Amino acid sequence: MDLNLNELLRQYHANPYEDHEICTPHTGIVTFKVTEGQHTQGPSGQWLHKPGTLLFILERENNPKRITAKCNGQVAEIRHEFEGKFAEAGTPLLKIRHRLTKDEIIDRILTEVLTVFPAPQKARYYLPPDIASQMEKGGETSISIKPGDDVLIMSLMKRDTLLKYEGMPGIIYKVYFKAGDLVEQDAPLLGICPPENVQFVQKIIDRIKNEWED
Amino acid sequence: MKKERVLIANRGEIAIRIMMACEDLGCDYIVVYTQEDRHSLHVRRAREKGPEKRIYRISSYKDPNEIFAVADQAGATAIHPGYGFFSENFRFARRATLRTRPVTFIGPRWEVIRDLGSKINTKRVAKSLGIPVIPGSDAPIYSEIEAEALAEELFLQQREQGITSPSILVKASAGGGGMGIEEVKHLDTFRRIYRRIQNYAKRQFGDEGVLIEQCLTDYQHIEVQLLCDRHGTVIHFGTRNCTIQSTGRQKRVEVAPGFDPSVCNYSFDAPKVLDDITNYSVKLAREVGYDSAGTWEWVVTRDGSPYLLEVNTRIQVENEISACISRIRDREDIPVNLIREQIRAAMGEKLGFTQDDIFFEGTSIELRIVAEDVRRGFAPWCGTITKFEFPQEPWARLYSHVPMDKPYDIPTEYDPNLALAIIWGENTEEARERAASFLLKSTIEGKTAHDEPIITNLAYLYDRLEDVLQF
Repeated sequence: MDLNLNELLRQYHANPYEDHEICTPHTGIVTFKVTEGQHTQGPSGQWLHKPGTLLFILERENNPKRITAKCNGQVAEIRHEFEGKFAEAGTPLLKIRHRLTKDEIIDRILTEVLTVFPAPQKARYYLPPDIASQMEKGGETSISIKPGDDVLIMSLMKRDTLLKYEGMPGIIYKVYFKAGDLVEQDAPLLGICPPENVQFVQKIIDRIKNEWED
Repeated sequence: MKKERVLIANRGEIAIRIMMACEDLGCDYIVVYTQEDRHSLHVRRAREKGPEKRIYRISSYKDPNEIFAVADQAGATAIHPGYGFFSENFRFARRATLRTRPVTFIGPRWEVIRDLGSKINTKRVAKSLGIPVIPGSDAPIYSEIEAEALAEELFLQQREQGITSPSILVKASAGGGGMGIEEVKHLDTFRRIYRRIQNYAKRQFGDEGVLIEQCLTDYQHIEVQLLCDRHGTVIHFGTRNCTIQSTGRQKRVEVAPGFDPSVCNYSFDAPKVLDDITNYSVKLAREVGYDSAGTWEWVVTRDGSPYLLEVNTRIQVENEISACISRIRDREDIPVNLIREQIRAAMGEKLGFTQDDIFFEGTSIELRIVAEDVRRGFAPWCGTITKFEFPQEPWARLYSHVPMDKPYDIPTEYDPNLALAIIWGENTEEARERAASFLLKSTIEGKTAHDEPIITNLAYLYDRLEDVLQF
């Protein structure tokens, strides 16, 4: 398999950051709870049950909603003009500069190695119930698939369509979406690994784990 | 009318028609939209109206908190729900009315929506007034013995009527949208199907109540358009025939009036049946104190027997064909606009005309132009529209949210409805010919992300024109 892992890792080492834009999930009046330069923490605890740093409060119809950080990082930019003002849904309010974690680097590099099943349309996607429950019991890499298998449900304009897998047989190594997410066309949905490549993929993962410090 | 600011809680062509009605009345309006709809003409039209803040992006059309938050922020005095979304949601209407900062809900009073929103309740009230409803239960049944006795009676009644293949429907009473319905063709299979539906109803809706009614197979779907105000005026704007539907029971071609003996042979007195269902509809509207625009839906079987199906307590997509054939005496130069009248009624105005002032002229046909593959079960099509052109005719109106001057990506979050064409003719034959000509001169081009050409229902609509009004 043709993969220049050294070069990829060098690129990530040179710029290990990613800016996360935080937008209002719905309308409401904004009260910021962080300042520029402040470090943020994502959800924590064994079950990720402790919410991340409180970023801002969005009050709508007298209900305050606490918007918390989903990742570690540093507040890079705040749109102060919205303080105490009404914001529409989807308004960008601040940016968090996030240093990529080991797992995120692994995910990104694996898209170069795995056979990616991309989204055929901008739509909402789900795993079929049998695959989802099998995965719940046996973990993400417990499912083997072959051409012709129903591997995804695409929900488009209120209609559900089963999507068949058409690549080479393999195991589902990575699921790139959460059930019900609206996924852009061509964005990766599944990463599939042929059985003969599993060892190779594992080697890549081990090497990234050794070389990348969180 | 005092200075009103109407929040239009809807999207697409109905949002545009509500804007036009507001402009007619001199009301200001506010538009909401989702990210997926940012290129819709309903947004552009509101933006171009003037510099005042008039458009608000929300997360969903189905989130009441979004609608009320924008209403307060924008100083709306009223909310027009259009059709779908909150239009028949009595809780939403009640909240609008009873909140600390009330806003007028443009529709019936919430109590009326609640009472007529239940098909069972509507059936019960209709029966008490002697209005024919589909034979069957008028309350949920929980006892198998009672259910079987009723099923037996319904089979017997149909045989007595000379129906050679009688059948009944077993429905989950809490269901809707075609879910939890099975047909029973033989009495000896009834128990098995009854139990299946009962279990399904319990599992899905937490209520094992079941409804049983005669299954009608050969009928026309007829509607009566009513308009009422808050001062006791009840007026009808004639009937419509909405029998041509997709497999998912979505209307595709509608015609007003509902029957036309000059082009079809009916085995019954068609004008009398239309008069009867109109009078029944008015009677029920008076009984419940109806006070807005609304549609009474009927089925009329081949032998001319009418049965009330349900009441839609909102403006319908197809309201305009009724308006198109209606004239108000001494105001013939002003086209009838039922949305405009619905807004006036909600604001407490008197309609200012009576049934005697209404008369009808010609035939009107509505064509629902949709990006869908009719051959594949009306499967929705999505992609980018690159050309969207329709003929300009004095007898045709087109309502659409699709821009004609730039490519448009059909949002995948909503049905791919593209446009409504409203055609008028002096008689049914002329309306049909004009509709056919309109379709032939229409051009829609586009492609999917994989470069496959657009699929629309234009050819299907053209073919179905010959079935209009036919049993």
